[in-house]
Amino acid sequence: MAIQKVIGKKLLSLTTIFTFVISTGYAQKLVRYDLYVKDTLVNFAGKEKRAIAANGQIPMPTLSFTEGDTAEIHVHNLLKEETSLHWHGLFLPNKEDGVPNLTQMPIKPGTTNVYRFPIIQHGTHWYHSHSGLQEQIGMYGSMILNKRPADIEKRKEVDGLPTVPLILSEWTNYKPDNVHRMLHNASDWFALKKNAVQSYGEAIRDGHFKTKLRNEWKRMLAMDVSDVYYDKILMNGKPESVIESVDGKKLKAGDKVRLRISNGAASSYFWLRYAGGKITVVANDGNDVTPVEVDRLIIAVSETYDIVLTIPAASTSYELLATTEDRTNSASVYIGNGIKQLISPLPRLKYFEGMKMMNDMMKMNGDLDDMGMNMSLNQMDMNVVMYPEITGEAKPKQKDDDPDRYNANALSDIVTLNYAMLKSPEKTTLPDAPVKVLQFELTGNMNRYVWSMNNKVVSETDKILVKKGENIRLIIYNGSMMRHPMHLHGHDFRVLNGQGEYAPLKNIIDIMPMETDTLEFNANVEGDWFFHCHILYHMMSGMGRVFSYKDQQPNPLIPNPKLAQRKLFADDRKMHFMFQNDFATNGNDGEMMLQNTRWSIGSEWRLGYNDMHGYETETHIGRYIGKMQWLMPFIGFDWRYRNMALHAEEKNMFGQSNTKNNRAVVSVGLNYTLPMLIRFQGEIFTDGIVRLQLMREDIPFTKRLRFAFMVNTDKEYMAGFNYIFSRAIALRTHYDSDMGFGVGLTFGY
Amino acid sequence: MKPVISLAFAIILFVNSSFAQIDNSVTASVKISGNCGMCKNAIEKAADKKKVSKATWNEETKVAGITYDSKKTNLDAVLKDIALVGYDNQSFLAPDDVYNKLPECCKYKRESKQPLLASSQQQGQSTHQNSEGHNHSQTTVDNTIQTTNQLNAVFDSYFTLKDVLVKTDGNQASLKAKELKAAITAVKMDKLAMDVHTVWMKLVSGLTEDAEHINETKDIAHQRDHFMSLSKNMYELIKVAKTNDPVYYQFCPMANNGKGANWLSKEAGIKNPYYGAQMLTCGKTVEIIKQ
Repeated sequence: MAIQKVIGKKLLSLTTIFTFVISTGYAQKLVRYDLYVKDTLVNFAGKEKRAIAANGQIPMPTLSFTEGDTAEIHVHNLLKEETSLHWHGLFLPNKEDGVPNLTQMPIKPGTTNVYRFPIIQHGTHWYHSHSGLQEQIGMYGSMILNKRPADIEKRKEVDGLPTVPLILSEWTNYKPDNVHRMLHNASDWFALKKNAVQSYGEAIRDGHFKTKLRNEWKRMLAMDVSDVYYDKILMNGKPESVIESVDGKKLKAGDKVRLRISNGAASSYFWLRYAGGKITVVANDGNDVTPVEVDRLIIAVSETYDIVLTIPAASTSYELLATTEDRTNSASVYIGNGIKQLISPLPRLKYFEGMKMMNDMMKMNGDLDDMGMNMSLNQMDMNVVMYPEITGEAKPKQKDDDPDRYNANALSDIVTLNYAMLKSPEKTTLPDAPVKVLQFELTGNMNRYVWSMNNKVVSETDKILVKKGENIRLIIYNGSMMRHPMHLHGHDFRVLNGQGEYAPLKNIIDIMPMETDTLEFNANVEGDWFFHCHILYHMMSGMGRVFSYKDQQPNPLIPNPKLAQRKLFADDRKMHFMFQNDFATNGNDGEMMLQNTRWSIGSEWRLGYNDMHGYETETHIGRYIGKMQWLMPFIGFDWRYRNMALHAEEKNMFGQSNTKNNRAVVSVGLNYTLPMLIRFQGEIFTDGIVRLQLMREDIPFTKRLRFAFMVNTDKEYMAGFNYIFSRAIALRTHYDSDMGFGVGLTFGY
Repeated sequence: MKPVISLAFAIILFVNSSFAQIDNSVTASVKISGNCGMCKNAIEKAADKKKVSKATWNEETKVAGITYDSKKTNLDAVLKDIALVGYDNQSFLAPDDVYNKLPECCKYKRESKQPLLASSQQQGQSTHQNSEGHNHSQTTVDNTIQTTNQLNAVFDSYFTLKDVLVKTDGNQASLKAKELKAAITAVKMDKLAMDVHTVWMKLVSGLTEDAEHINETKDIAHQRDHFMSLSKNMYELIKVAKTNDPVYYQFCPMANNGKGANWLSKEAGIKNPYYGAQMLTCGKTVEIIKQ
């Protein structure tokens, strides 16, 4: 009897659910997806590597909804680590936003998390893991929010077209943790892979010796437009693919196709170019724009663009080519049926022209100088000096005072999209409300790979409090040397781009060095909303802020806010480890270091093979000061042992004598990076001895050959060469005043 | 004797190893367009990847024997590299700009290339218009299409000629002027709308004359002189004929020895046809002509 009752009840509740779904039917359909997130092995670039797939797929499955639906997404974490999923560009309740330790606690291994939210917008969006570096190894997918059928009719010439979602990404055979670590240790291995070392040898060959010298004088490492070398570029998980038919209908000449393109790459921007003619841009970041025809556009990390392409001839398919901004790699998709019409690849960057341009822009104190150009909205692109297709293969003849010297559209026939060309088809003005103005400078330095806003990282700042209902205006200046795609969670902002009431709505804005952009949005959804650079490695270094609403309800998914905050801050407080040792004929030279945004703990050692050559170690714990982090005061500890009967005592240049035979002392001192990137070190030890030292270990003579030297007031000196074989191995030859001449192999991590 | 034998042996070994470099080798015969010995060099160089792929192309038969390591690459990847240096083949068509830059002797006939649909460009522009814009009666729509279609060829040739002058290319300008002249001759006056017809009658001789003059010389200064009057006439024509897209009437105060001169452009940005790179952005838009 009892059992029957229970079954009866269950049946009853089942029917109620059923009727609920039916009765709300068309207007409010519940759409459920189940995502099983699991470790997998992939072979994208010649080697089996670990990746993460959902339902066995990379990219993760495309999730489709219609405006008015309710989304219910069950995320089953079958990994051995925590995870999360963020719905990029969506308006939703804060606790569904999917930022671990901010809007929810991480999804623990072996558990399931249900995200449930109403779909109140339309457009091309995407989703990705917001945990650690998981996005880099497969956790991204398209998220398509379709218009209601009645709305499709209003713009049928676009919304009625055959449509294909495409998500761009990149693949590296290195573990993303390792990539992150290498970036923080200023490894130039990626530059070497990209043939972008920009050594003195190459500078002399190209007649740019002075440029290189001036660049190092201004304390800049060789610049590139991107940080990481990738083995493969993927569109929907493939380097090359064909779109022959859409929804079962074969494409033919004259057909138009709409592509919903998301950039799910961790750190790559892509140029999009089409072999079949002009590209018509019809939407950006999920918002319709008045159609605009261009020859090419760059899609910033995490942006989305909807483009319309026409197949202009029969029996031919046309290449859509996505080329990384550094032009080292690309992916192709061919649209149509028949022989494949190619578009020519973008020519190699003129790196030394870029270096020269940076020299002009960089002041001696590390600030940038835009020379009164007031740049914004990607209209002026300093990088055009490096683009042969715009400024020619030879040296540019442009005069220095031409106001259009960085305007790609004025310099050539090629029409390049910029943000000023985007216009909303409808008015986007904000409700009448008090305006709160916030100014930010995007800051950072490449040498130590520190990225921040107003020189502070996430863990060094409080949340920014805003009042519900007010309008927030953000004025953002990029004072760093890299471009940054800044992304705001949960809101779209208007980009004030000269289109007045029809300013386009976006949720990512790419800001190039020295540009200032003004954005505004209405604060209309309570919660803690992340605002950050979407280059994954910049975000993990702490380039972001949190907007939080005053007097809001606590988030039920964050039971212990203090613990959550500590875990959130742990991301940019992470210490990065490096190690290297030279196994040479005259001894072992090596160092290891642990460092993060501000702190550095480093040890160096020189270990001889006999007592006469001696053994010594120096350990320094220091803190980097200032925006450029050229200065680092430290405390240190030195230990040496040597058994040398002849020179029992040595005198330094100040006449102080020092046995060096058995010495253990504590010191205070400072490191300072001088012009030419020479590291000055001044140190005073507890025994009163003073030591001043100059040193540099990475002077690039050629693509693979580095020169190193050191001199100090203890009359010690060293000079040598490193020839880089691979990421971890170099051949080293050097002469050391203590240990003499040596040849060896250096192993690094 | 001994050294001779070992030398011979060494040579054999050498020859052998140079052939045995590609593992898992697969060979395919593929037709690749091309004309001459230069083409042969370029094709074979593009396919030559150490230990991965190589090709031998026959100038007579136009067939290449392509050998490749099937574990490291595939036939299409090799064919793509060949197309990227300018040579059409069964899978890929070379990029147009790469083909155009081939030496004259290498410009083979592009048999696989399909003609562009005339309609595709028209359709490409219709996305610009709001769907509400199509509320004319059927007959007027037909009429306008006829008018614009006929004169579009004239306007398009004018715009290409202008672009070539921006590039200061006298040879090309001469060629483009010839096309313009052909387009003018091809216009069937009786099909033009009444008001357009009247203006056309007035302007046609002037237009033709300027086009002829530009065609006859390769002297860029002389061409630019005629381009001034050509632009003036073209402006009068476009004022009545109208085009689908807005056209910008632009003015450079320095041209014509400081008296100033006008031209028409499809883009708002200034690219000066009277000076080219010397003063590319000199000038301003004085009128936007819209339908």
